[in-house]
Amino acid sequence: MSHAFAAAVCRSAAPMALALRCSRRAMSSARMLRLAGASAASAARRDWQGQGLLAAPSTGNMQQYLREYANEKKVFERTKPHCNVGTIGHVDHGKTTLTAAITKVLADKQLAESKKYNEIDNAPEEKARGITINVAHVEYQTETRHYGHTDCPGHADYIKNMITGTAQMDGAILVVAATDGAMPQTREHMLLAKQIGIDHIVVFINKVDAADQEMVDLVEMEIRELLTEMGYDGDKIPVVKGSALCALEDKSPEIGKEAILKLLQEVDSFIPTPVRELDKPFLLPVENVYSIPGRGTVVTGRLERGVVKKGMECEFVGYNKVLKSTVTGVEMFHQILEEAQAGDQLGALVRGVKRDDIKRGMVMCKPGSVKALDQLEAQVYILSKEEGGRTKPFMSFIQLQMFSRTWDCAVQVQIPDKEMVMPGEDTKLILRLIRPMVLEQGQRFTLRDGNLTLGTGVVTKTMAGLTEAQRSELTEGKKAREKKVAAKK
Amino acid sequence: MLLQRFCMRAMHTSRQLYAGATGGAGLEKSALAALRKKTGYTFAHCKKALELHGNDVSLAEKWLHEQAQSLGWSKATKVADRATAQGLIGVLIRGNRGSMVELNCETDFVARNDTFKRFVDHVARVCLYYTDLTEFDGDLWKLGFDTDALKNLPTEEGRTLGDHLALLIGALGENATIRRALCFKVNNDLKLVGYTHPAPTNVGTIEDITQVGKYGAIVAYRSEHKLIDYEFNKSICQQIVGLKPKKIGEYDKDQPAANKDEETCLIHQEYLLDADKTVGEVLQEHSTEVIDYHRFECGEQTERNLEEIIRSQHQSSN
Repeated sequence: MSHAFAAAVCRSAAPMALALRCSRRAMSSARMLRLAGASAASAARRDWQGQGLLAAPSTGNMQQYLREYANEKKVFERTKPHCNVGTIGHVDHGKTTLTAAITKVLADKQLAESKKYNEIDNAPEEKARGITINVAHVEYQTETRHYGHTDCPGHADYIKNMITGTAQMDGAILVVAATDGAMPQTREHMLLAKQIGIDHIVVFINKVDAADQEMVDLVEMEIRELLTEMGYDGDKIPVVKGSALCALEDKSPEIGKEAILKLLQEVDSFIPTPVRELDKPFLLPVENVYSIPGRGTVVTGRLERGVVKKGMECEFVGYNKVLKSTVTGVEMFHQILEEAQAGDQLGALVRGVKRDDIKRGMVMCKPGSVKALDQLEAQVYILSKEEGGRTKPFMSFIQLQMFSRTWDCAVQVQIPDKEMVMPGEDTKLILRLIRPMVLEQGQRFTLRDGNLTLGTGVVTKTMAGLTEAQRSELTEGKKAREKKVAAKK
Repeated sequence: MLLQRFCMRAMHTSRQLYAGATGGAGLEKSALAALRKKTGYTFAHCKKALELHGNDVSLAEKWLHEQAQSLGWSKATKVADRATAQGLIGVLIRGNRGSMVELNCETDFVARNDTFKRFVDHVARVCLYYTDLTEFDGDLWKLGFDTDALKNLPTEEGRTLGDHLALLIGALGENATIRRALCFKVNNDLKLVGYTHPAPTNVGTIEDITQVGKYGAIVAYRSEHKLIDYEFNKSICQQIVGLKPKKIGEYDKDQPAANKDEETCLIHQEYLLDADKTVGEVLQEHSTEVIDYHRFECGEQTERNLEEIIRSQHQSSN
């Protein structure tokens, strides 16, 4: 089945690549010669591949095409499960040194590319979804897993990182220097971890070469105590002691290299592998609905997660409606597909529903796996003027348009713990939707006001549905609200 | 506030000593643990103190307190060239006096920490104390401090604010600076109101409490109302924090800007709580007149600002 998927993509990818080449050829004649050579070479390779298509694993074909398209880049090989971790800790406790040490130790095993301290240290400004974040991303792998490693200088940067979702962290490494112990702001570091939803922390006590055993033990005790106080299971959290600097300078391996390997081992075993999208119940945000004479209703969209097969029960949710149906066929690129996987752009033929019953913005999913909601709590970053946001602050009760997946809906905003929100700030908001839409914890969305993107956020908590009274309040004007307040007094 | 903490420590001493003595066999271990817990100084420093004083906790503690100042200074000089882009604004209003201070630190983690917030409060109170000392009976008096002036301000127990800052740097392990401060004093029928953003939603009074946030504003106003309308005054401060007006503007001189969103005159700006009205209209409704205001934004560029403050101070004292 995955053969069919790859073949279809290959077939569509090849003409596209050629078309691109043609347009580039027009741009420069010098490059033309080189490209002509390249396309000749690729043609030859394609012949070779045509023969190999039956035997070679399907991902190989994809990679081959990718390789010729951008042959300087190494192709990412998906052989291990992926996990995102981050380092948090005080500026002087050696977060960056630890990151450098991890890459160095793993580079010796050919599992990572060694990065020097100053290559990581700068936490370069990145623009994700139009938001400027100071963040350093490093990748490496252990024997069992592949890691994306995030390091940010400040609280706001971690929050923005969480919101833009460039790398949702599955776990964190808390770095503490044995010489200093927990700092006053270590409490804030743990609060942050809580806030961005990190349930699994591994502690690394750094700089043990500059401290004695007694100090190290006391630091461990202190950290466990603090973790327990902040709501983590302080007694069970793995604590590894070592010196990142020793590992980096190849000195005293028992606190250097071995400690780093021990830390990675703990990270491997303590931080659970996130559930792959493929293994979750299927969900397809509906992009378009067609009625095909003689066949029935077809919905199209990109399968966000799970697997869809012919004959599966499904449910359409959204716009106050829940419709049950059955998938009677799955197609991709006008070809019948036995099984569609997360990430596939597909069309699904569904039984017994009319075209007018389904609308863009609904989702097709495994029955009972999602619910439509009209009230939620979210962490939102409000774009600054420089990022294209608004210039003025806003207050509670502002009406905005919320965009998520394929739907959009009017929402009323409540600011729970502030009076107003300035551009460039991150904040908690309570959003009330004018009609229930499919929303889940962790779902990302954009808030817009007219033709302006105001902010982007992530659902942190789903809340109980609105009562009738609350819903009618949504459409009330300011005057009516003021009257009510006055009446209460 | 620091004084207070030292007192607390002194109170705890006797109990800790008792605990240490009963520890028996693990005396040395508990000595270090007890010292660290009691003083909060880094493990390395506690260790050194114990070594120097043959594991005598009380002597070591005394030494640590004596050394804290110089250790703080040495840490402060070590980190002095690191950029401090985060921080807090503190606004303190007490009757007819008010002070607004800006403190900076390296990461916003520290800015959220209570130790740092307490220090902001401390600096605001020291500045207010100096306002109290000044004799003045005109309408409005303003005084701006820059970093150097603030560092040399003596505190009640004979040290300077710079010494206190060094202690803070020693405790936090991060560079910090007291960037600027502005003091207000009004007399006669003028009143002061202050606000910082983000502000918690359910606060009863702001009198004599240092508010802290990323933005701050102090407004001097004249109102015909006997009772103070806190909500309305706050909304004017919010207006200033949120829409950053460049000047108050005069009703007969300044014309409203063509583009509403670029309006820099306070009185012509759209009122934040009711977009149908301008601030000028709302002020007239409440028979209130804004005499002067100042807005601090954490980390903003300020060379010009400080000069303005000093210039306006000259004007008002003339």
